[in-house]
Amino acid sequence: MRRRRDRHGLPPELAATDHLGKQLERKRRAEAAATRLLRATQAPLEFHPRAPDAPPAHAGAPLTPEEWFAAQGWRAFAFQRAVWEHMAAGRSGLLHASTGTGKTYAVWFGALDAAATPGAAGRPLTVLWITPMRALAADTVRALQAPLPALGIGWTVAARTGDTAAAEKSRQADTPPTVLVTTPESLTLMLARADAHAAFRHLRAVIVDEWHELVGSKRGVQTQLALARLARWRPDLLVWGLSATLGNLDTARAALFGARAAAAVTVRGEEPKETVVDTLLPASMERFPWGGHLGLKLLPEVVAEIERHATTLVFTNVRSQAEIWYQALLGARPDWAGVIALHHGSLDREIRAWVEAGLKQGTLKAVVCTSSLDLGVDFLPVERVLQIGSPKGIARLLQRAGRAGHAPGRVSRATIVPTNALELIEAQAAREAAAARRIEARQPPAKPHDVLVQHLVTIALGGGFAADALYDEVRGAYSYRDLTRDEFDRALGFVTDGGALAAYPDYRRIAADADGIHRVSSAAIARRHRMSVGTIVADATMHVAWVGGGRLGTIEESFIARLRRGDAFTFGGRVLELVRVQDMTAYVRKAARSKGVVPQWAGARMSFSSELADASLAVLGAMQAGRFEAPEARAVRALIDLQRRWSALPGPDTLVVEAIRSAEGHHLFVYPFAGRMAHIGLASLFAWRAARDAPGTFSISMNDYGFELVSPRAFDWAALIGAGLFDEARLTEDVLDSLNASELAQRRFREIARIAGLVFQGFPGAPKSTRQVQASSGLFYEVFRRHDAGNLLLAQAEAEALEQELEIGRLRSALAAMRARRLAFTRPARLTPFAFPLMVERLREAVSTESLADRVQRLLAELEAAAGAA
Amino acid sequence: MDASDALVVVAGEELILSPHKALFWPRRSTLIVADAHFGKAASFRARGVPVPEATTAVTLAALDALIARHDARRIVFLGDFLHARDGRGPHTLAALSAWRSRHARLALVLVEGNHDASAGAPPAALGMALATEPLADAPFALCHLPVPVPGRYVLAGHLHPACRIAGRRDAVRLPCFWFGAHVGVLPAFGAFTGAHTIVPAAGDRVYVVAGERVLRVPERQPA
Repeated sequence: MRRRRDRHGLPPELAATDHLGKQLERKRRAEAAATRLLRATQAPLEFHPRAPDAPPAHAGAPLTPEEWFAAQGWRAFAFQRAVWEHMAAGRSGLLHASTGTGKTYAVWFGALDAAATPGAAGRPLTVLWITPMRALAADTVRALQAPLPALGIGWTVAARTGDTAAAEKSRQADTPPTVLVTTPESLTLMLARADAHAAFRHLRAVIVDEWHELVGSKRGVQTQLALARLARWRPDLLVWGLSATLGNLDTARAALFGARAAAAVTVRGEEPKETVVDTLLPASMERFPWGGHLGLKLLPEVVAEIERHATTLVFTNVRSQAEIWYQALLGARPDWAGVIALHHGSLDREIRAWVEAGLKQGTLKAVVCTSSLDLGVDFLPVERVLQIGSPKGIARLLQRAGRAGHAPGRVSRATIVPTNALELIEAQAAREAAAARRIEARQPPAKPHDVLVQHLVTIALGGGFAADALYDEVRGAYSYRDLTRDEFDRALGFVTDGGALAAYPDYRRIAADADGIHRVSSAAIARRHRMSVGTIVADATMHVAWVGGGRLGTIEESFIARLRRGDAFTFGGRVLELVRVQDMTAYVRKAARSKGVVPQWAGARMSFSSELADASLAVLGAMQAGRFEAPEARAVRALIDLQRRWSALPGPDTLVVEAIRSAEGHHLFVYPFAGRMAHIGLASLFAWRAARDAPGTFSISMNDYGFELVSPRAFDWAALIGAGLFDEARLTEDVLDSLNASELAQRRFREIARIAGLVFQGFPGAPKSTRQVQASSGLFYEVFRRHDAGNLLLAQAEAEALEQELEIGRLRSALAAMRARRLAFTRPARLTPFAFPLMVERLREAVSTESLADRVQRLLAELEAAAGAA
Repeated sequence: MDASDALVVVAGEELILSPHKALFWPRRSTLIVADAHFGKAASFRARGVPVPEATTAVTLAALDALIARHDARRIVFLGDFLHARDGRGPHTLAALSAWRSRHARLALVLVEGNHDASAGAPPAALGMALATEPLADAPFALCHLPVPVPGRYVLAGHLHPACRIAGRRDAVRLPCFWFGAHVGVLPAFGAFTGAHTIVPAAGDRVYVVAGERVLRVPERQPA
């Protein structure tokens, strides 16, 4: 047991000596400076490149929009005028462009033109501005307010999100602002108010910001349903979506407007500003690691890049990688303590806000971050973006590139920093696909029952509904356009009497009154529904706090569960020692030793996109044809030649399969380039199909390029391939059989159970750990499976497991591609460059076809053996 | 004893651990059942959460199977027999009465637990003797709360214990019987009950319920 020292957590001397102490002190100073600045001038605007030299806001006669633009030193772009004309003519639409090109003021001035009268006060809730991120709301409010005084428009603008204080919410209820900036969840809550219809009687325009962030998610479906309702109340409603460029813009527009899509227009924003993507190349390829995703080989080059630029964002794919790079940078340049910072979703909001403020003011040299900084307001001083490792997708790479030079006319530059040799291929592929603007599509979910169930209760609270009318309205939302009446009635049954398929005596959540209007009768049910509205399910996380008080952020519960008291781990850029766990909080103190376990966070297992996969195969195809002109290709050439000499090079027309014998057993390496999720499914499928006739045990590892199967005994894979190993027949059945599909479905059910209102994340003052929620969603899953197997939420969980956990669609097309490619079956004498990373991949999964009891017996035997060895 | 049961000796007494998540004490012909939580599904339904009524029937069928297999003459419920007051729905109570009439000669004892206090006493028609903890039945003290009683070995419930069994690659979490030096805890019996993961101390004996079998968990070496 470790000695207990430093019971007071953050000791006073920390403020002077400690890194976080310095950060906090700098934060205090920065805040004071910001307050002074705010008093002296207007708040900074969202995207203009130079300080406004406009006349004082209220000095003269009201300006026209064109005059106001001129006063800022801007001129209106053609696309902005196009949007204004469409809105003046009463047309709705989707505006897409890269960030920082003036989308906000295109729709904002259009809405003002359509609904504002200079000199007159605004009517309550004239405009709704929906944003996916709570953190963006305050900046949006400021950007929308900025031109109002000069234009002589007396509108009020306010934000309402989950962060808004109760007092402010109640003030807004008494005197609603003219313009409300809000999230999909808060909008849904407003629809759950009995007087919702009357509250929106003046609504003229709804703007959905960052629609590309919402369109592929259940939050997007929630937004669709809310829009369908608002459009029914206000037939002349103007609805505008703002989106980054997507691979399927027509679908994104259809999803926003549903049945009203025919009348909606699409406006393309200004030509994307120049984006430069390149790759940081190692000076020498010698000893550049073949595998591993934490490679710090290019640290000196990264330090030099940061040195050369005023402010750099260093993007990583996962939080653990961010922690590692932050530590490494500090290790290389201890003098940067206090001017480089860490930003990821697990850090406390206050710390993140300080980092963001530092970025805006240009006081930080570099910030190591994750997708937590993908979105958001513009950090004008950012000059440089580095992407550690593969960006995994083209849209993501472009989004991140756009964080640098974030202003019209300035060049965005992102540099990919490969962490192992093979990532050079992906870097070249990403660069080429980005130049060709081959951007991923985002598909809206298809009629998720859990969101519909939640919506039924929301509308029952928000004035009630007649079943026929609501069925019509719901089908006006794109995701439910094919909803059958039977499916609607089953969802309705689920909240009225439980449905006809199982006995649910004395149960009802909503009930129809004498006029056939469905309402919620119980105040307790109403309160619980309002508490749990929303479609975002948090991972099971716990707070990290000093023993003496002061929160540091949140961390996955599963990670803390693996630690023992006294263990050290890295978090928020510091090495901490776990003191105790209590009330969903991990209490920590500063660790005496300097090396900690790096937290493994969820998200590490994201697949690369099909677009990036295709681009990578194309790069390999070019190499196959002897073309090595690209700098990345030149750098990786020796390795490619080695792969060709020892085995064969995978490519768009070649499927490489390698059989290798080692002391560990018989290895099969296959390179379909279908992404790691699909490879899990493919590997399990192959193991299952091979072992069907001759039982065997396999261990599996996978990455984005391929997968490995290891077995103690040999299989004749060539014969199995000839006998239909790649066949699509019985694919779904075999995949379900080969993987522990019910466990995957149960995992999906956790989210579904919460959205559908089966389990609750707790009331204020009655905290309930998410572990308990997880347990009870598992309980619901079991009970439904045993006693109401036809339950629509179970079917949804199974479908989601197949589509999202197993990517069955991608798996299917991978099999088709594998059949179409020429098979190169090789038996290399040793591990090839492509095989090596799979071999060192630490996350291995076992495929087993055992019953639960057999599985437990095996687990117990493993424990016994481990205990005996200890 | 059936092949799927497990036999343990606790405080010198032989006990049979059943995969139905109850234990049988042969010398006293007594079934010991913890945390049945009858009416929990009904209580959820009353609060607007749909849970099939079938869970009551499943729990009662498990009791039937246990009585038949062991020829039990007495059942001691270690608390939390009923879940909550609003779970005393007519369907649940009718099912309980029908079950009682099938086992009219069986002695039923309830050691009252925390849920029983708020859910109210079981209906008189069930003919249950009520006891406050600890109920002495040498060498045991039969309790709801797993708190040591001097001079006795405590058999208790309340915790709904489960054990996480992790191998090199996968892990499962299963309800368990947990026997410490002075206190033994039974898994929750009810078909609609959750579980709480325990961390056994050195020397504790843990038996997990894995489907149709009860299996001993080897003791972890102190690291």
